[in-house]
Amino acid sequence: MNEKTSTLKRWVGRPEFSSLLIMLVMFAITVYLQKNFFEQKSLVRTYNAFIPLILMAMGQAVVIISGGLDLSAGSALSLMTVVLTYIMKKDDPASGFTALLAAIGVAVAIGMVNGIGIGYLRLPPVIVTYATSYLWLGIALFLRPTPGGQITEWFRIFYDFKSVPGIPDFFVEMGKTIPPALWLLIIGCVGWFFLSKTRIVRYMYAVGSNNDNAYASGIDTGWTQTVACIINALFILLAALFFVGQNQSGDARMGDPMTLKVIASAVVGGIALTGGKGNVFFAIVGALTLSFVNKIIFFANIPNAYQTLVSGLIIIVAIAGSLVYSLFSKRAMLKEGMK
Amino acid sequence: MNPAITNTRSNFFEIAWSRYKKSIVVILLIFLLFIAGEVLVGNFLSFGQLLLTMKLASYIALFALCQMIVIAAGGGGLDLSVGYTATMTAVLTASIMDGQNSNLWMAILVALAVGIAVGFANGFLAAYLKLPALVVTMAMANIVQGIVNAYTKGADITGKPSPILQIIAAKSTGIFPNVVFLLIVVAIITMILLYKTSWGLKLFGVGSNEIAAYLSGVDAKIVRWVAFVVSGVLASLMGLLLIGNLGLAFKDMGSMYVMPSIAATVVGGISLDGGEGNYFNVILGSIFLQTLTNLLIALGLGDAGKWIGFGIVLYVLLIAYVRNPRSR
Repeated sequence: MNEKTSTLKRWVGRPEFSSLLIMLVMFAITVYLQKNFFEQKSLVRTYNAFIPLILMAMGQAVVIISGGLDLSAGSALSLMTVVLTYIMKKDDPASGFTALLAAIGVAVAIGMVNGIGIGYLRLPPVIVTYATSYLWLGIALFLRPTPGGQITEWFRIFYDFKSVPGIPDFFVEMGKTIPPALWLLIIGCVGWFFLSKTRIVRYMYAVGSNNDNAYASGIDTGWTQTVACIINALFILLAALFFVGQNQSGDARMGDPMTLKVIASAVVGGIALTGGKGNVFFAIVGALTLSFVNKIIFFANIPNAYQTLVSGLIIIVAIAGSLVYSLFSKRAMLKEGMK
Repeated sequence: MNPAITNTRSNFFEIAWSRYKKSIVVILLIFLLFIAGEVLVGNFLSFGQLLLTMKLASYIALFALCQMIVIAAGGGGLDLSVGYTATMTAVLTASIMDGQNSNLWMAILVALAVGIAVGFANGFLAAYLKLPALVVTMAMANIVQGIVNAYTKGADITGKPSPILQIIAAKSTGIFPNVVFLLIVVAIITMILLYKTSWGLKLFGVGSNEIAAYLSGVDAKIVRWVAFVVSGVLASLMGLLLIGNLGLAFKDMGSMYVMPSIAATVVGGISLDGGEGNYFNVILGSIFLQTLTNLLIALGLGDAGKWIGFGIVLYVLLIAYVRNPRSR
């Protein structure tokens, strides 16, 4: 048999492929509805609207693959924006670096607490991250009971190059095609690309698909799941940097509505909630699908009241679609095998 | 002293301890909370406070019953749509009842229809097609909330609950809140259904070992599907209780019960892996959660302190007895 076609066929048979198809359909509809989609300005707007969800979905995917689940993602995002704006002073550029370091510390701590609960203490991920979500919410509210705060001027670099004073023209020009949001995504993707070559990420798949077997073959399951949670927290940090640059303030409740969207994105992207299956880059596809749907709802003039309804329906259609697709492709492959 | 007698006695205590360990631990924790409240705040350990806690905890416990049945059926079951289903029922029935007892039967029919519809859809997707229940029920929550939004179109919801519902949900007989009696009746019916009928046996069988249940001729998919329908119907009827208690319906009246209902189930010692279900412990778990919330509010630390305390206590509690030590 021809090597090339069989690889292609195997690829088409994967359940992720259906997520890709659904995403492309949504993309086509969006482009059809929004006439100026490919104009530079609207593209930048699209990046800004989509990328935080994409980053968080990638992080969530890492946790889900390692056999966990993070219901605290949204409150962790809020906490990070609060910490960043709590430390920064408007007139002190150096405070930006302090804030950045502190936020990285907070991210690692968040990952550790979640990871210890899921990995070492083996508590059910749904409920332990539910508990920690209140912890993050409480700490964020303690630091900043009402939305507010300030950032140093250079911190806007994470949202918009041209609003940073004294930045070289080269960056401003580049910002028109590749805005900071896209850079954050590139950082996330490249970072994950190199991480995914490491041993511990392969261990994540093993731990996610069967914790006991992984343990029995000598993998430190607790540490593996903790690392997954830390990676997730760092992805959330990237999203937090963007939001702080954009809003120039912190809000202890801004992340709450994100959590379920993030999980849905990962699932639509073909990451199995049972763990051990899926590709983190396909979480991008899932997040794109949901984001395009939101855009379509907006441009199709569907009344506000129906938006939650439609987005709920789409999530179900998307995950049911991938199931039906994988059933059919399996059947097709079986037939192919019998010939 | 006859050594044989002491021996049997210690055995008796050991058996009692091993069987009722979780209940005893939760009861002790609740007492601990009340004593802590009495010491820290004062005026906390009173009969009135206990009754108020019972009343508020009853609502969590009734939502947790939906949760427990779905969780007991195994397969990673969870129902995140319960609170939203209740909201939809409350919103839809508010104008139907319009404060008249004679319209109550219509409201109950509507509630049943809503519950069966939502539960049937959840069950079809999560149990029959085996899609992840967490995401399915979450999406269903979105859909239901979307229907509520579309139905109300942002306007205020008119209509009042019928007086009978208000008596059941909000009033007290003597000093005891009526909803507590309802909870007791529901608990007894649940215990009978779960432990004395074949359906209960099937539910736990499917939950603890799906393959074994399948080989014994039980269709796991159907059993789980029914579990989702039961959960939907119960949640929908809870909508009637909520509107009876509050006297009006609004857009997100039920959503705040979703996560506490899951937490109460877990605090009650039900494994999220399925196959277990002791409703008595779930009720205790609900009382614990409600007491904790009351205490944290009474301490007057504001929102921040309340949520930090809630998070820490829940985390520590999980470590204390949900931890799943690796067997070697």
